[in-house]
Amino acid sequence: MEYREEERDRRITQLKKGILELAVMGALYHEPHYGYSLVRVLTEDGSISLKEGTIYPILARLDRDGLVRSEWVESVQGPPRKYYALTPAGRQLLGDLRQEFDLLVSLVKREWNAGEESETAQRKLLLRKR
Amino acid sequence: MNSYSDVVAKIVNDYLDRLKLQLRRIPAREQDELLKEIQSHIFEAYRRSSDEDETERILAVLRRLGEPSDVVSDRLPEAMVRSGTRRILPMHVIAGILIALFGVPLGFGGAAVLVGVLAALAGAALAYFAAAAGVLLASGALGLLGLVRIYQPALWDVLVVRGVIEPPPAEFFDALSPAGQGFLMLTVAFVFAAAGVVMLWLGKYLIRGVRFLFGMVCDWIRRWAQSARRAVRRQLARDSEFGGAVLRAFRGPVNGEQT
Repeated sequence: MEYREEERDRRITQLKKGILELAVMGALYHEPHYGYSLVRVLTEDGSISLKEGTIYPILARLDRDGLVRSEWVESVQGPPRKYYALTPAGRQLLGDLRQEFDLLVSLVKREWNAGEESETAQRKLLLRKR
Repeated sequence: MNSYSDVVAKIVNDYLDRLKLQLRRIPAREQDELLKEIQSHIFEAYRRSSDEDETERILAVLRRLGEPSDVVSDRLPEAMVRSGTRRILPMHVIAGILIALFGVPLGFGGAAVLVGVLAALAGAALAYFAAAAGVLLASGALGLLGLVRIYQPALWDVLVVRGVIEPPPAEFFDALSPAGQGFLMLTVAFVFAAAGVVMLWLGKYLIRGVRFLFGMVCDWIRRWAQSARRAVRRQLARDSEFGGAVLRAFRGPVNGEQT
């Protein structure tokens, strides 16, 4: 039976939501960005398409949780830009999240008949999951 | 944003207006920040886009930005929760007064007392509306009798002789003509009807009050359940051995895991 297209789209959106937050933190790890420049670096290789507006709720959430700090900077041309930078707490969390993410990816990509060695990954994951 | 042409400025302002509508429930300061941020985004995106037609350009920018609901999607629930908390504050005051007055103990006993109080209130509300209905019914009956007295005096006499109705044993009533008696009854019926309607109208405050109290209790219960669930989860997370045991209990032993 074929899956429905909207079903697929809904799931892809769901997937992107969580991972996008990670990607945003990753981009801010290297240098501060304002919303639009963040969208540009995230989409520059064209591999991910997103509604650009969705970046703002993510930034607001990160800001609220103290993982990024923000600052208004006057622009030479046009209205001021709000720059975001990762806080030390955000950097630390990003490190942990990356590890967890790698674990998940290895689980997703795992060859299920490969046997022994990848089982450790699965076990770790289950224990971490409360 | 002086670099926009009139048409483009109009389209942008329209978009921002729609965004503002979505932001109504968010605190004013946050609203302002987000609006400024989106304005900046639109400006930067528009500046960098390369299409001949400016209308096409701005529309493409807004299309990529997404609907206003996308921009606020995740913010909305949180802001709603926050404004909800603000609204609930008076409930805490009332709860405090209730506890102070009746010494309602918290916990299950308190909950039981609360449920009891609510049931009593609901009962009172029901009785009130029953009374209102009674008044209206009496008014209807009296009005009908008044009409009978005026237009069907013979029927009235038959009813009186049979003892179905009993005219008031007042002298002034007997002194009135049949039409006068009927008119008097109609007048009283109208007064009753008015009283019934007023009672129904006032009843809406009663309903509102009861609903308010019910909402408050439901809110308490929800919050209590949430905090309990959170505590359990925290406990599971803290004690990862125990967590593992629970997981195993639910899912059976994990492959390759020694038990």
